[in-house]
Amino acid sequence: MLNEVELDMPSAPVQRRRRTRVAFASGRLLPIIEGVAFVVAVILPFALGDRTDLITLATNVLILSLLAISFDLCWGLSGIMSFGQALFFGVAGYAIALVGRDLDFSELWGTLPLAMLTGLVLAALFAAFLLLGRKPPTTIFVALGTLTGSYAAERLVSGWQYVGAGNGLSSVKLLKLGDYEFVEGPAFYCLALTVLTLVYAGARYLKRSQLGLVLAGMRQNEERLAFFGYRVQLFKALVFSLAGMVAGLGGALYSYHQGFIGPGNMGPGLSTTAVIYCLFGGSGTLIGPVLGTAAVEVLSYVLADVDAIKQFWPVILGLVLLGVVMFQPKGILGLIVSDRERIGSYGLCRRKD
Amino acid sequence: MAIGIKLAFDILAFTSVMVLIVLGLGVIASMMGIFNFAHGEFVLLGAYTVYLFESSGLSAWAGIVAAPIVLALVGLVLERFIIRRFYAAPIIAMLGTYAIGLVIRETVRGLLGGHYKSVNEPLPGAFTLLGIDFSIWRALIIVVTLLVIAGTWLFLARTSAGLQIRGSLENPMLARASGISTTRLYALTFAFGSALAGLAGALIVPLYQLSADIGTRFLVQAFLSVMLGGVGTFEGPVLGAALVGTTAAGLPWFVIPVLADPLVFVLALLIVKFRPQGFITQGRL
Amino acid sequence: MSEERREKNRGFGRRRLMGASALGAAGWVAGTAGGWLLAPKWAHAAGPIKMGIATDITGAIAPSGNANWQVAQFAVEQINKGGGIVGRPIELYLEDTASDPKIAVGNVRKLIQERKVDVVLGGITSAMRQAIKDPIVNRGRTLYIYPQLYEGQECTKNLFCTGPTPAQQCDKLIPYLIQTVGKKRFAMPSANYVWPQLLNKYARKVIEANGGEVVFEEYYPLDQAEYSATIGKIRDGKVDVVFNTVIPPGLQPFVKQLYESGFQKNGGVLSCVYYDENLLNYHPAQEMEGLYSCLDYFQSIDDPFSKQLQVDYAKKFPDTKYLFTAGSAATGMYRGVKFYEAAVKATNGDVARDAVAAAMDKAKIDQGPGGGAEMVPGKMHCKMNMYIAQCKVDAGKTRYDVISSDKMVDPKEC
Repeated sequence: MLNEVELDMPSAPVQRRRRTRVAFASGRLLPIIEGVAFVVAVILPFALGDRTDLITLATNVLILSLLAISFDLCWGLSGIMSFGQALFFGVAGYAIALVGRDLDFSELWGTLPLAMLTGLVLAALFAAFLLLGRKPPTTIFVALGTLTGSYAAERLVSGWQYVGAGNGLSSVKLLKLGDYEFVEGPAFYCLALTVLTLVYAGARYLKRSQLGLVLAGMRQNEERLAFFGYRVQLFKALVFSLAGMVAGLGGALYSYHQGFIGPGNMGPGLSTTAVIYCLFGGSGTLIGPVLGTAAVEVLSYVLADVDAIKQFWPVILGLVLLGVVMFQPKGILGLIVSDRERIGSYGLCRRKD
Repeated sequence: MAIGIKLAFDILAFTSVMVLIVLGLGVIASMMGIFNFAHGEFVLLGAYTVYLFESSGLSAWAGIVAAPIVLALVGLVLERFIIRRFYAAPIIAMLGTYAIGLVIRETVRGLLGGHYKSVNEPLPGAFTLLGIDFSIWRALIIVVTLLVIAGTWLFLARTSAGLQIRGSLENPMLARASGISTTRLYALTFAFGSALAGLAGALIVPLYQLSADIGTRFLVQAFLSVMLGGVGTFEGPVLGAALVGTTAAGLPWFVIPVLADPLVFVLALLIVKFRPQGFITQGRL
Repeated sequence: MSEERREKNRGFGRRRLMGASALGAAGWVAGTAGGWLLAPKWAHAAGPIKMGIATDITGAIAPSGNANWQVAQFAVEQINKGGGIVGRPIELYLEDTASDPKIAVGNVRKLIQERKVDVVLGGITSAMRQAIKDPIVNRGRTLYIYPQLYEGQECTKNLFCTGPTPAQQCDKLIPYLIQTVGKKRFAMPSANYVWPQLLNKYARKVIEANGGEVVFEEYYPLDQAEYSATIGKIRDGKVDVVFNTVIPPGLQPFVKQLYESGFQKNGGVLSCVYYDENLLNYHPAQEMEGLYSCLDYFQSIDDPFSKQLQVDYAKKFPDTKYLFTAGSAATGMYRGVKFYEAAVKATNGDVARDAVAAAMDKAKIDQGPGGGAEMVPGKMHCKMNMYIAQCKVDAGKTRYDVISSDKMVDPKEC
């Protein structure tokens, strides 16, 4: 634990110098970034006009950002390495697809809460199994447990005829609100943006709340916090469940938007992609994962057409991830945002760090 | 009776593959405390080496001999420049090795053009014993695995280098204080683990097709095997691999294949939860 | 010194961001200009007819997907050389479905939304077809032609199938195996998805109606690599014909393990309805020796038009390993392109979906690989010639000797 913190923070002299500059110049950089991102997101559909394909891409970015935020809640905020966030994403996606197919129901006010509930309950079950118990689990166990869960679910669903087996479920019923059907395009984009904004606001509030303070303490030094009397594992389980809820919501939107959900949408592939999104953008900041998702997805989209790079884009992505992990674990945002802002400041600081 | 023997043989063959893969992973996890997420891709590289040899006209046997050597070199280079930085933080190690694995996997995928390739068995066909047919190649895999296990055990138990390794496993600080270069030992251990993965890949590629994803299908099972068997010893991962391999190969005979697949993981995870230190414990984690 | 370091840090950060966005912008410009597009050499007032091909260029099904793409290029080039359709050239777009429905859905959407194609041809496995038909036919409101043999029961409007159906493949093949070859005990090892499940249901009816027996029917994950349990059941059940519906990537280990268990040596017969000359890309010839298949075309058929097609195809793609064959949907792709041409000729250049669909419903093509074909009105499927053949091995290459043929077999669908 101590070692991880050392890796996380830059060395003291540089830290002091950087802090002086940042505290003076841009102590509140994150809100500015968030504000700019929000404004861009709002005017985007108007700027893109009739390029439906790009609006679809943008909507996908918004939906996948939910998955990235879900991972950030686990890792960036609480220090839980979850390699299986896509599990909740996928299961919720399947749930609403099945509800649409078997019960012919796809109303917004019913299915989205259902997805959130599915994500929440499933994550709570996993949290109970992985995190709670007589002895606190090792980080490896949690990481492996989530990975295994994601993988086993993918294999199980691949063989289960009722949910379409390897085919997945296609022709997912369109999301409705009353009589209005949400198809790909500006309408769905606005829905996704609204959902993302609400989730983001909620997560931001969480981060700045007392609970967020506990989580920050957990991330810094779990043992110390445990000695203060906090039931660390219970808090972790709580956050994990909330993260699962967010992932579930994302999964439902994804399923409605794509019109397709398959075993690959709940497996380790997508889970680790969420990790890439989050780390690349900058974990712990909430806006970082959103930006990371946007960057990776947009680049994937445009580079997929360029023949020379097309085949090696995933290699480049892997190298980028490696670079981020080795040299800049704080992601793109870590370049311009100070550590204090990432973790969050609470009240007065005694020292200048 | 014949069914019983055939079943045992098939389980043994699959388990041998698992053991080769898991041994490398377990040795690295025990020694350095990091779980190498790129291990599956080392297996892939071993398989790819054999494919390269075969498709450029050289003998597949040469490829099989070359694969562990190639992987040992790859392991040394990776350890020296990248893995070394991760020893302090196991979580970062997981992410970092995952990234390495991604790079390797996608590079191979690009080189293969996304296709699946076949490599022929250097010793095709079957031999008959007591009226039952046994695949020659699978028998070879079992023999090689037994030799590797025996060889490794002898090395650890009987040589001074082995003694140094066992000492570092039990207490790295004290080992360093006694003058043992743990840096060098770690490098060699990583190289050894990688070489084992390469050998496993080289041996299995005639049985399973070569594609960029063959590494990933073993990865989760390998991790579970290591955790099941217990990190920190040599026998632990072997036992874990044997358990997982037996379950994975044996279940489809009793349960429908599509259910057997995820069931292995669920069972393994349950056992690990209730016995987190694994079955054979000693040493760090 | 510290000031410099601070300045460098700040500048570096900003420069990196700008660099990344510049790359993105460059990529975008390059992206919209480039892509997998074959543009015709002349223009027409009404613009070109845009045809989208969505097939597996990478992944487990790549050998078949690449054959499809090459045959599509070949067929379109022939049409464009002849002046296009009613004077309008065809513009061909490709998207890789990568043998993965999850990726396919996104890529197919590109064809519809970005390229705005008038028709999509493609999908090989039924899993792929089911994944992409919704984005194409429902959300995309575009015509879709599916070129591969499959399990039938696809009666969606605006989705035309140009590959063989179970009736066309099994009705003659299975009685032949039971009565002429004399093998009555069937095993059905299958991949776990919709095509084997429905095909097996149909095949079982035909088997039992002809006095045969199904010893076992089992389903495996697509990437199953260990088949010892299956081989054991084949041996113990005294199975003499394996009616295989396992597909790649699980196919290669299965066929290899079956071969090595001595099944064919001991008189067992392997039969698989998608096996053709292209399967040499999947595994060595000797594992396929003696196999029976029933398809709409084999290269050994003595038909001048088909032979000329092969000559011209070889001229365009010399030494290619992706052959123009039937099991890989390539013949269905050719047929699909030609049907589309016939339909648009009938509508006199109107590419609106309803008009073309109505015309295609009655379309006929006089000549094609293995013979002509005609759409059965209202049934979305077409009649075609069917051939039963057995695989013979000749110096490491496979040759399918035609045993019997049937003209214009009815698909019996919808």
